[in-house]
Parts: sequence; structure tokens; C-alpha cells
Amino acid sequence: MTSLEPTQMEQSCMRHEPEPPGEKVPRRKLLGWLVGVINLGVFAAIFTPTLRFIADPMRRKKGSDAWIPVIGDGEIAEGETRSVDYRVNVDDGYMVSPLRYSVFLHRSGGEVFAFSPTCPHLGCNVKFHSQNDRYICPCHGGVFSADGGRISGPPPHGLTKLPAKVENGQIWIQRV
Amino acid sequence: MRDQPGSSVTETKGSPRSRKLVVMDWIESRTGFVSFSRKNLDEPMPPGVGWWQTLGNLLMTLLIFQFVTGVALAMFYAPTPDHAHQSVAYIMDGVTMGAFIRGLHHWGSSFIVLVATLHMLRTFFWGSYKKPREMTWVIGVLIFQVILGFSFTGYLLPWDQKAYWASVVGTRIIATIPYVGEHLMVLVRGGKEVGALTLTRFYGVHVMLLPAALIVLTGIHLYLVRKHHISGPVTPRKGRPAPFFPVQLLRDAVVVLVASGLLLMLAVAFRPELGGVADPSGVTFTPRPEWYFLGLYEFLKLMPPSLEVVGTLIVPSMVTIGMLLLPWLDRVESRHPAKRGWIIDLALFMILGIGVLTLKGVLSEPPPPPKAPEAEAVLAPAPTPPSRP
Repeated sequence: MTSLEPTQMEQSCMRHEPEPPGEKVPRRKLLGWLVGVINLGVFAAIFTPTLRFIADPMRRKKGSDAWIPVIGDGEIAEGETRSVDYRVNVDDGYMVSPLRYSVFLHRSGGEVFAFSPTCPHLGCNVKFHSQNDRYICPCHGGVFSADGGRISGPPPHGLTKLPAKVENGQIWIQRV
Repeated sequence: MRDQPGSSVTETKGSPRSRKLVVMDWIESRTGFVSFSRKNLDEPMPPGVGWWQTLGNLLMTLLIFQFVTGVALAMFYAPTPDHAHQSVAYIMDGVTMGAFIRGLHHWGSSFIVLVATLHMLRTFFWGSYKKPREMTWVIGVLIFQVILGFSFTGYLLPWDQKAYWASVVGTRIIATIPYVGEHLMVLVRGGKEVGALTLTRFYGVHVMLLPAALIVLTGIHLYLVRKHHISGPVTPRKGRPAPFFPVQLLRDAVVVLVASGLLLMLAVAFRPELGGVADPSGVTFTPRPEWYFLGLYEFLKLMPPSLEVVGTLIVPSMVTIGMLLLPWLDRVESRHPAKRGWIIDLALFMILGIGVLTLKGVLSEPPPPPKAPEAEAVLAPAPTPPSRP
């Protein structure tokens, strides 16, 4: 570092001209505002479209209401709960991805119920324990009954029920 | 210790103004930011400093725009041969404001090369690189190289025919270097051919290495500019220096306003091109570089095969080395162009040469691309990407 003292040129610069008396808005202040407005405007013109661009995924609707066949009607017995895998093409940004998901199917009173395996607490996949007829989330210990209702643990509510129907000998679900 | 600005609070406690002063006091005592900005706003501008001295600020603003749009584009872009073209097509047609953001980034790069060139020409003709500002110039030349590196690596990323073939030729130039050329080319390409590893390599350099280099170099450049102050006109004028704020800062803002307006208009009016997906088997496509490399492109055309290395290596490296050493090659003490003799003649010759060659390149239109369906940008809903063996 050289001298810490301001140079002559700097000193002469720091001695600002006194503002002429009688002016309501000093010139320095006015020009300062003008610079600020221009810079703000220019940056807004670049940043606003950029933010809209980045936020594009927020405009997309989640999931689709298409019915997806998962298994044959005869493959699940009364009172049984089982996990079934299925494949579905998902809009995945610039591509369409064939992804594999799973769903819990449960038959009770002749009717078929479908539950999303996603724990409503923080999104881990729950496991079904057939010996005590309970869904248990391995992450934080959420417990659900066979009909999807919440029993204990941190989840705020029961498992998400998905629309399910039996048609043409197949069980169909909707991912909503 | 220097006095804390605003520490003499004379107004009634709790009034809005005194509260503001307390906040400013706190910020100043913890960060020194208040006196730092005051010092920079009071930066002395010698008499005669004017519009020509706004180019550096404009260049930095354009680089910030490029950084902002680049980060946004990187959030949608996939640097793989399977998906690069598809993701750019998606940006253009599938994402809100996508074509506009890519347009800003695309046209912004041309603006930057243009403004950087003007900024260097201003510094050159004003002799501002002379003592004590030699290192400011050297860092500036390095920044210019980084900017060209950005252009070269960014050109490949859309992975269309133009991108692919320009990069094939651009990297092939490296192989003309005697002895080590072939090895160097493999290093740059990440393989013998331009392919998946070239794309990831160029992407990595474009979004990691060059931005880091640019930030460090720009930091040093700005520090040096402030340390040695603005040079002012070649013959000092009478009068007292004026503080940077408000007049020069207003000039900066006006120039930024005009240039950004032009850039926004270009981005709105002209969609950046996206040709057919890169096709290594294509024989119908004539590759051409971006306009600012056209001078070099035409120069290479003039070279007979035996002298090719002159055009690919010797002349470009001599120009770069000459620019780096300029403050020491130009030994005349005066900053006045009329007194600097051969260095000005040589520079005028080079500017004229580059200008004529660039113009020749711009005017020599390539044969029109074939109107085959592959030449159209298609956004195909892609099934699973075929796994590469």
C-alpha cells in the first residue's frame, strides 16, 4: 500500500461545490434519483423476464387425470393389501420419461381402494406390514391403518386415496 | 482511525432521519461500506473524461446480464448429445419467455465482443495503458481472451448443425500446431471426435471455469482502475477534476440504458437460430463461425496449405502476445497518437486488416442450407433416450 492520505486530486474532488442556495431539490440529489431510476428500470427489464422464465414450472399442472390400468381384477383377494408397480409416461421438462411408480391396492367389501405410498408427512414411501395390518413410514415412524387412516406419528393426516375403479377385468387408478 | 461518518447525531432522538443515521453508523462501523461507496462516488474524473469512458461500465453491465441469463438457461439445459438440442428447443418453444431469454444471451454475446473491442480501442488510442497502468491493460487483454473463450465454448452448446460443425473445425485448428497439435486437440475435444465428452467439457469450461476466471480478473481490473484513477485525455486539460457522481455516473447510466434498449429490441425481434440437430454424417452443411471469428476464418482461407500454421497459430499468438506486451513495446512517453509512430501505424494496419477480412467473411454468404426436414428445429416428444453402448 502507498500513502493512505488522499491525493491532491482526490482532495479537490471531495470538496464538493456548495449547493446553490434557494434551489428546492439540489442538483446532485436530482441526478442521483435519475441514475437510480435508469438502473432500476434496466435491471427490472432483464430480471423480470428471467424470473418468469425460471418460474415456468410453477405454471404447469401437476399429474394427469388419465386412468392407468395396474393389475387384473382377479389378482387381489378380499381383505388383501398389496403393493403394485406400474409404468407411466410423465412429462419431464424437455422430455417424456417412462417412470415406474407403485400404488397400494386394498380390497374391502368387494370394493378396491388405492393409496399413494407417499407419506403425507415428508414424502418417504411407506411400507405395509401384513402381520399387524398397518402401514408404517420407515423415515419418521408414521403409522396408518389398512384403510389409510392416520394412527400415530408425525403425519398430519392419513394416506392419500387415489381414484380407483374396476372395468373390463382390470383395476384402474388415476394419479392426481 | 478516521471519523465515523454521521456519528455526530444532533437531531432529536427517534426522528426518522436520526434513525437512518444510526443504521448507517452501524453499517459503516461493521462493514465500512458507507465510506467505501462514498470514496467511489467521489472518485476524481480529470477534466475531459466523458462518453468514451462509459464503455467499461457498459461492458461490466452486459457481463452481469450474461451471467443472469446464463444461470437461468443452465436451469433448463442438458449438456448431453441426447438432450442438448431437445432442451434448447424446449427452452425456445416450451418455456415462458424462453426464446427471449436465449435471445438476450445470444445477442448479448455479440454486444460484449463489440463493446470490449471498443473499450480496448479507446484505451489504445488514448495511450491509457502507459505507466502506471500497464497491468490494468494486461488484465484487460486477458479478460478479452476469456470473453472469446466464452464465445467459442458457448457456440457448441445448442448442438445443432452450425454448433457441431463450427466446433469440429474450430477444434481441428488446434491439430495444426506442430508436434503437440493432435494431442492437444484430443485434450480439448475429450476424445478423437467431437462428441459427448466435448459437450460436457465445453459446458464445464463455459459455466464453471470461465466465469470464475472472469470474476477474478474483473475484480483485479476494477481494483487497478480505482488505484490508478482514470487517465483522462491525452493532453491534460485545465480545470479541476470532477467527482464520478453525479455527472459521469449519469453518462454511464444513459449509455447502459441505450445499449440495453437495443439488446432488448434485438432479443424481442430476432429469435436466435436453432438448426437441425447435430449430424456427424451431414455432407450438405457448410460450417461458419460467429461473425467475430470471421476475420480469422477468411485469413485461414488465404493461407496456402504449407503456411497453414501461420494462420492458425503464429499470427493469432503473435497478435495476442503483442497485445499483452503493448505497454512495453510502445516506449514513447507521450500518450498522444500523433507522437507514437509505428505502434499506431501497425495498429491501424491490423484494424483495417481485421475489418476488411471480417467484412469479406460477412459478405461471402454460404450456400443456402438444404430445405430438408432435418434442417427444421423439431421438438419431438422423446421416448427413452437410447442407452449408449
